[in-house]
Amino acid sequence: MTKLLMLFAMTIPTFVSAQNAPAATVRKTFSRTTSVSTVIKADPAVIWALLTNAADYKRWNSTVVSIEGDIEPGEKIRLKSTLDPKRTFKLKVKTFEPEKHLVWGDSKGNRSYTLTPNGDGTVAFSMVEKIGGLMFPMYAKYIPPFDASFDRFAADLKQEAEKIGKE
Amino acid sequence: MENFTTEFERIRPQLRSYILRITASVADTEDIVQETWLKAERNLDSFQGNASLKTWLFAIASNLAKDHLRLKKRWTEDCTDICRQAALGNRAFFEEAMNIRMTSPQGNFEIKEHIAFCFTCIAKSLPLEQQIALLLKEVYEFKVKEIAVIMDLSEAMAKYYLHTARSKMIEVFDRRCALINKEGICHQCTELNGIFNPKQNAQEELAKIDMARAAESGDKEHLFDLRMQVLQGIDPFESGAAELQLHHLEHNRKVMEGYL
Repeated sequence: MTKLLMLFAMTIPTFVSAQNAPAATVRKTFSRTTSVSTVIKADPAVIWALLTNAADYKRWNSTVVSIEGDIEPGEKIRLKSTLDPKRTFKLKVKTFEPEKHLVWGDSKGNRSYTLTPNGDGTVAFSMVEKIGGLMFPMYAKYIPPFDASFDRFAADLKQEAEKIGKE
Repeated sequence: MENFTTEFERIRPQLRSYILRITASVADTEDIVQETWLKAERNLDSFQGNASLKTWLFAIASNLAKDHLRLKKRWTEDCTDICRQAALGNRAFFEEAMNIRMTSPQGNFEIKEHIAFCFTCIAKSLPLEQQIALLLKEVYEFKVKEIAVIMDLSEAMAKYYLHTARSKMIEVFDRRCALINKEGICHQCTELNGIFNPKQNAQEELAKIDMARAAESGDKEHLFDLRMQVLQGIDPFESGAAELQLHHLEHNRKVMEGYL
């Protein structure tokens, strides 16, 4: 029994930290995956609204220069990121499950956002971007690291969503 | 409800100004307010009294306005620049306006009236839900839970629409309005004051407006609150400048509908 309790106690911090993990990148020969997660004390509808209102992004998100278009199922958007402001990424909204899961991307990779209510008024937010393919090793060195930008994105989203809830 | 007609008439002025500020059209406003009365009277039995009659009537009117505007494009943040340019090339517009100025008991020009007019135009650049939430809270002083009832959404989403709308309008006016920012690119209220009240000293007129006096503070949130207080104090159908401003609003609506 004592061993069981100890095992349970050890799993709790692991679970919590998995929901609050700073950005990390896993590099493989043909792909690179960056992920970040955070717990947000806000209504999932509000977080979803922030993630899907293209025109409003630059107001609250310090990693986005602009997003043009509608973030709706099957729609194409044009994104400019602070990582490379001169470049416009032409992306397609590939998955759109309201308040749960959003994916946009192109032929080289996908960015996915997942919201999971914790049942206590908080939401586990995670963001993952995987880029890769057979040609990936040839252009990998030209792609800047995403980690700092991912941390800022998650922090900005958390700050904005929680601020709205307090008003 | 025995006194429904009396109660409706009491609320009607607020409903009219609210719908005018959403649609920017006098004719559409009159239609929507009349339809609100008919719909409310028809469905009076379904009014449970869980919300106030005012909240219920604003909900009916808001839905009718949303249906009416669903297919219409939103205006742009620079709508007043576009309309100014169109007005400069429209001699008849200025002749009509000057005639109203000279002959109508509601033909005065006051800077604060134009501040309210200007907000009506620029708030039409917000997504409709944001515009509605902002007006309900900041001008008609509904509580968040009442706004949630009127708009049929959660309180969390009502807060989201309010927050995004307010943030956006603060940013737009801070960037554009020369009354609160010396670098602001829009001077139309003082420009028009010079045309309609050539003998007035614009600085003296501005000194009468709390928002203009407080501009030096640079407190954007406070300046926006003061702007909203200007709107709260003006009934666009009954004020001393009503006919002149409604004529101008009609001009802007036609220009924007042609432009978009």
